[in-house]
Parts: sequence; structure tokens; C-alpha cells
Amino acid sequence: MITGQHITKTFRQRGSVLAGREVKALRGVDFAIPKGGAASFIGESGCGKTTLGRIIAGLESHDSGEIIIDGTPMSSLRPRQREPYFRRIQLIHQDPYSALNPTRTVHQTLDAPLSLRAGQTGRSRSWVDGRARELLELVGLDPGYVLPRYPHQLSGGMRQRVVIARALTVDPEMLVADEAVSMIDVSLRLGILALLKDLRESLGVSVLFITHDVATARYIGDDGELYVIYRGQVVERGHVETIISDPVHPYTQSLLSAIPVLHGLERPGEQRVTPAGALDESRHDAGCLFARRCPFSTGRCESEQPVLGHGGDTPQEHACFHPTPRDVVAMPIGRS
Amino acid sequence: MFVPAEKVSMTLGERLSAAVGVRGDRSVEAARNTGAAEGTRDARRSGPPGVRIRDLSVVYRTAAGELPAVSGIDLDLPPGTITGVVGESGSGKSTLALSLLNAVQPPGRIRSGSVEIDGLGDVTRLRGENLRKARGRHIGYVFQAAQNSLNPLKTVGKQLLDLGRSHEIRDLRGLVRDAKDLLGRMGMDGARVLDSHQHELSGGMRQRVGIMFALVLNAHLVVLDEPTTALDMITQATILRIVREVHEERGLTTFIITHDLGVVAEIADRLAIMYGGRVVEQGPTTEVLGAPRHPYTQGLIRAIPRLVGDLGEARALPGRPPTLGTVPSRGCVFRERCDLRMDVCETEEPPAVPYGEWIVACHAVAARDAETREEKE
Ligand SMILES: Nc1ncnc2c1ncn2[C@@H]1O[C@H](COP(=O)(O)OP(=O)(O)OP(=O)(O)O)[C@@H](O)[C@H]1O
Ligand SMILES: Nc1ncnc2c1ncn2[C@@H]1O[C@H](COP(=O)(O)OP(=O)(O)O)[C@@H](O)[C@H]1O
Ligand code: SF4
Ligand code: SF4
Ligand SMILES: [Mg+2]
Ligand SMILES: [Mg+2]
Repeated sequence: MITGQHITKTFRQRGSVLAGREVKALRGVDFAIPKGGAASFIGESGCGKTTLGRIIAGLESHDSGEIIIDGTPMSSLRPRQREPYFRRIQLIHQDPYSALNPTRTVHQTLDAPLSLRAGQTGRSRSWVDGRARELLELVGLDPGYVLPRYPHQLSGGMRQRVVIARALTVDPEMLVADEAVSMIDVSLRLGILALLKDLRESLGVSVLFITHDVATARYIGDDGELYVIYRGQVVERGHVETIISDPVHPYTQSLLSAIPVLHGLERPGEQRVTPAGALDESRHDAGCLFARRCPFSTGRCESEQPVLGHGGDTPQEHACFHPTPRDVVAMPIGRS
Repeated sequence: MFVPAEKVSMTLGERLSAAVGVRGDRSVEAARNTGAAEGTRDARRSGPPGVRIRDLSVVYRTAAGELPAVSGIDLDLPPGTITGVVGESGSGKSTLALSLLNAVQPPGRIRSGSVEIDGLGDVTRLRGENLRKARGRHIGYVFQAAQNSLNPLKTVGKQLLDLGRSHEIRDLRGLVRDAKDLLGRMGMDGARVLDSHQHELSGGMRQRVGIMFALVLNAHLVVLDEPTTALDMITQATILRIVREVHEERGLTTFIITHDLGVVAEIADRLAIMYGGRVVEQGPTTEVLGAPRHPYTQGLIRAIPRLVGDLGEARALPGRPPTLGTVPSRGCVFRERCDLRMDVCETEEPPAVPYGEWIVACHAVAARDAETREEKE
């Protein structure tokens, strides 16, 4: 179980135009990801998803708040002591092209971490080879075919599977998949999503899935939790299917409305929401962070900050003064 | 100390991508290829041009000889329409787009066929200054990965002025005003963006800057290669809306290339599906999406993660898309992944057969069509 309590992080921008701008990348985020569970962070780019993922993977520091791994608060440990905890949280990032060393074969890529592990645990050379094959099979690759090959000889989907196999060499407890399928060919995406789902079931690995494409979040498991993040704040949170079928926060509704409609196959939702303007991360707002772009904002939204809760008795949590379900999702033609 | 594998090579990866990002000065090329009314800014033109691509083949020289990335494509862009091309990586989309500008670079070359553009003639025959001028006068273009195609050393505004000068535009102020206006419509602070260097802009901002460059000179044929790839959904929706609006306001012929069927579904009037260097199916967008005929199109649609419906309904296509070296030289390029394949698919390439406005290249579809016609008789 990995939990986060009130995580905050502020960046100060550099460069001549943006210099000195402060970006509150995370404004007190709480989360809990049970063992074997799935959680998805969604939001537009710049809303803080990657920063949160990197903090959870121990790759980025945070300003305040606590990360608790299996009951141990990380702030109680010295950096060296934290290492074994964070080692079991592996990041899979977006670009399977740059994630792999182009000068190493798949065999070399897997051999190095496995040999280290064998050294630490007193295992033999043959264990290393066997394990490499086992992991490749687990991620749906033919070891005989891929082991001798270099990354450029593999398709994007195969490369991403190799990246996942490498992450599995350390027996991780959690995989943090940051836009892990957005660079994969459309016809192969579902394969990677299904793999993540299978790994949850077969190995009990939990998956933290970071994406701006809400639809993909369903495919790592419909038991998952969805966290909708806007400007460093969780604005809606709950069961993935609940939020997709009955979103109440106008920002979530904007995200869902933005998904292209497959005209001819689907009809658009009748109440699609289009936010005004673009995201401005460094703006200061006294009230709701979304108020400037929200088509439904009222006087109260300008001056008071909504907090995450079940206001209006919604099944999911949300941070909106006026939670209202809207018909924003496209429906297959011939279904109501 | 133990360092997790992922964490080590990520930094390596980051260094690599950083190196690629600042490589060379592609912006100047990009700028040159962007369209313009020569010497004057007003678009006094005779309406949007139509484009007719005929039997086009483009090859790249490799260690294994010249291999086709585009093979015998026939495709029309009717004047005033948005045509979308969808295909997986390596299917030849960018190569096709470059052919429209006769801009295929060595080791590639257009081996045969023609690209007739109204007012320009066959662009595959144009050379040198004629070609440069033709591109400038008619065709606006956004390269794939426009994100990395800006000059890192110059502000966007400076690059805009360079662009204007290279097309002998006298009213540079007007040009800047138009650029600001376009950027503003795309949700950005135009003045601030023009003052920025590439590294100060997010990926989404750079992509929008690329689109501004393609539109700012008033070209009437606009070619957009993956204009929204790697952007989030909200930014993508905004950009697609603007492309559609500008398309209608200015009366353009627009050609948009993407690996994302949703993008094309959202804005294109006509849709062409590419696979292994061929157009396997083309027709009016809503009709093709509503009842796709080619097994690949069907599989591609089934592979899209959906917001509603049974999770089991969506399925990945088995196998993988072919690459230059693995595209079969005989028979159907899709057969390895096709459930319907027959003996003839191994040996004979399925011809593109028109069914009204809809064109499909598949033996099974042709056979089924012949059957239903026989039944009727
Ligand atoms: N300069 C080149 N030299 C050799 N082969 C090339 C070159 N450029 C492209 N190719 C090959 O030609 C084929 C088509 O490439 P193209 O870039 O047109 O594909 P695409 O459909 O645009 O793919 P993507 O979705 O990845 O952009 C691919 O197999 C590619 O590897
Ligand atoms: N190292 C950094 N330095 C400065 N600003 C940063 C840094 N990393 C992220 N940011 C800023 O923090 C915000 C959130 O970024 P990020 O977590 O990458 O968002 P997302 O993954 O949701 O797109 C953005 O405004 C981004 O520009
Ligand atoms: S609190 Fe007000 S401004 Fe914020 S999302 Fe809700 S309605 Fe919109
Ligand atoms: S031609 Fe044959 S192999 Fe190709 S798509 Fe049609 S049925 Fe399948
Ligand atoms: Mg990110
Ligand atoms: Mg391309």
C-alpha cells in the first residue's frame, strides 16, 4: 500500500520570458494505492501528473507532505534507507524509443539488472538467463526473437514491452506508467494496456497509470480509481466507471468532451463542455482554480475555494460548488 | 549501490532526446516550405485547389536496395474539403505528405506517378526555383514533430520576419498582426509567444506555433502532418476546432495526416486508410467509420479504447505493422494480420475497387460484393 498525504511541490521557472514565475505543480494531493490496485491520474498537460508520478517513484523531491510505503513514512528515513522502498516502484515512461539504450541488445538490457540482483541474492548465472526469458514471455514477447535484437529492430509496442520487462527485473510492487501507450501504434495500444492489467492479476503489482486519454484508464482494470487533476489539485476522484458515466466536475466534463467523436459510429454527448482559454499554471486565483475557464462559475466560485468531498451526496468526491451531472460522453449509435 | 535499471537509462534517454531536439536548423526549411502569396499578402486566388495523386510510388534506398514506402497510390483531394489520412507508424503517411510538396529527400525519391495540383500542374516535375516558388505560393505545411522544428536560437517573432522576407512580403507589420491573431485564437498570448524562444514554450505551444506558420501566409492548400500528436485532449480539440474554422473561413483544401482515427473522425470530410504504403480504403468519413469494409479498418476501429461499452469489445490487432523491409512484395500487404485471407491474397495485390465514392482494396470485399450482386440478379 502506498499513500500520499498532502503532497505539495512548487517550481520556479527559468528563462527570459517566464523567469521568476512560480508554478504550484502540486497543491496538497492525497492518494492511496492499495497493493495490486490501480489508480489513474488524468488531466491536461501541465497539470502536475508527471511531477506526482516522479515523486511517488522517488525521482523528485516534494516540498511538504508525506509518502507512506507499507506503513513507513518516508520522512522518517534517511535517503539511503528510503532506497529499497523506492526501488520497488518503477517508472515506465512515455517514450519507449529513448528509454532503451540503443547500443545494447535486449539480452544486455535485461542481463545487467538481473545479474546485480543475482549477486545480491546469491543466485546463479543460469537463474539470470532463465529469468530474462521468463520475463519476456510474461510481457508477451518471444525471447528467442527479441533477446539478440537492438531496440531499433523492434516495433514501438515491442520496445515498450521490453521496458516493462526491465522494470519487472527488480520485482516491483508498483509500476508508474506515465503516458505509457501514447507513443504506441493504435492497433497495439490495447495489448500494452491488457498487459498492465494482467500483471496486476498475475503478480499483484499495482499500477499507477498517468494519461490524458481517459478512455485508456478503463483498460487497466475497471476496479480502478480515477484522480482528475487540475493545476496541482485533485478536482474529482472515484471509481473509474462512475466518473466516466456520471462526471460532476466541469473540468472532468471538459476532458471527456474533448475526446474525439467517431462520427458515423458515435453521437456526441448533448451537453459537451468547452473550457474557455488555455491553462495558465502560474495564475493566482482566490477562488476555484478552474473558475476563469469554467462556463458555470458563479460569484462564490471567484472568491471561495472548493475542497474535495461528497458535497451534494455524489458517489465520487469532487471539488466543485455546483456539482451537476452532464451528458458529455459520446454514445455508440444504436445504444442509448 | 544498486541503481534500478529504469532510473539509469532514463537519464541517458533524456540526454538523447535533448540532443535530437536541438539538432540542426530545420525551422528555416520549414519556413521556406510554408505557403505564401508572392510579394503580396492578400489572397486573390481562384478558390481552393484540387489535388489528384496518381499511381504514386516513393522509394528509399536501403542496404537491401530501393524499397517502396508508398506504392501506387491514387488519391483525390477535392477542392475545399478536408481529407484525412490515417495509418500506423511506418505506413508511409509522412512520405505521402512530402510528395505533395515534391520534398522527399534523399535517400528517398519519387519513383513514378504524378501529383497534379490545380494552378501548379504536376509538382513531381517541378525543380529548383520553380519548385520553391510553387511551394511558397500554394502550400502551407506543418512538419511532423513541429515541436522540435523551431530554431532554438531565434525568437518566434524573428523567425516569422525571416519567413516574411524570404517570401518578399512588404507588409511585415500586417504579417505580425495576423500571426498574433492566429496565436490568440489558439488560446495563447500572441505577443508573448513571438517574444519567446523554443525552450520557453511547452510542446503544445510549439505545435500551435507550427500551425500558425502554416496558415499565416494564406496558402490555399494546407498539409498538416500529425498536428496534434503528443498533445492533451483539450489542446487537441482546440487545435482541431481552429483548423476547421480557418479551413472554412479561407476556403482551403486541407490534408491532415495522423495515426489517430479520432482526429480524422472529428474534422475530415473524407478519410483514407494507409497500410504498408497503400491506401487500403477511402471514402466519406462518417460512412467509412459507420460501416468499415476493409478488414484492417475494421480492426483499427475495434482497437480504439472506448469510453462506453464492454471492455472486451475492444481488441488489439494481432501482429504488428510492417516496416520498409518487411512489406511483402507480392499479394496483400495486410494478409499476415487478416482473418479473411484467401489463397489469392498471397499472390495478387488486391486492386482498389470503387463502390460509388468509396474505394476498397481487398479481395474478400470484392468477392462479397460480386456475390451480393449475383444474388440480386
Ligand atoms: N530517410 C529514410 N530512409 C530510409 N527509410 C525511410 C526514410 N524515411 C522513411 N523511411 C521509411 O519509409 C517508411 C514510411 O515512412 P513514413 O515516415 O512515411 O511513415 P509514417 O506513416 O509517416 O510513420 P510515422 O507514423 O511513424 O510518422 C517507413 O518504413 C520508414 O522507416
Ligand atoms: N523541473 C521543472 N522545472 C520547472 N517547472 C517544472 C518542472 N517540472 C514540471 N514543471 C512545471 O510544473 C507543472 C506540472 O508539470 P507536469 O507534472 O510535467 O505536468 P503533466 O505531467 O501533468 O503534464 C507544469 O507547469 C510544468 O511546466
Ligand atoms: S466551483 Fe464553480 S468555477 Fe469551480 S468548477 Fe465548480 S462551478 Fe466551475
Ligand atoms: S486482400 Fe485478403 S488478406 Fe488482404 S485484407 Fe483482403 S482478405 Fe485480407
Ligand atoms: Mg506529463
Ligand atoms: Mg510520419
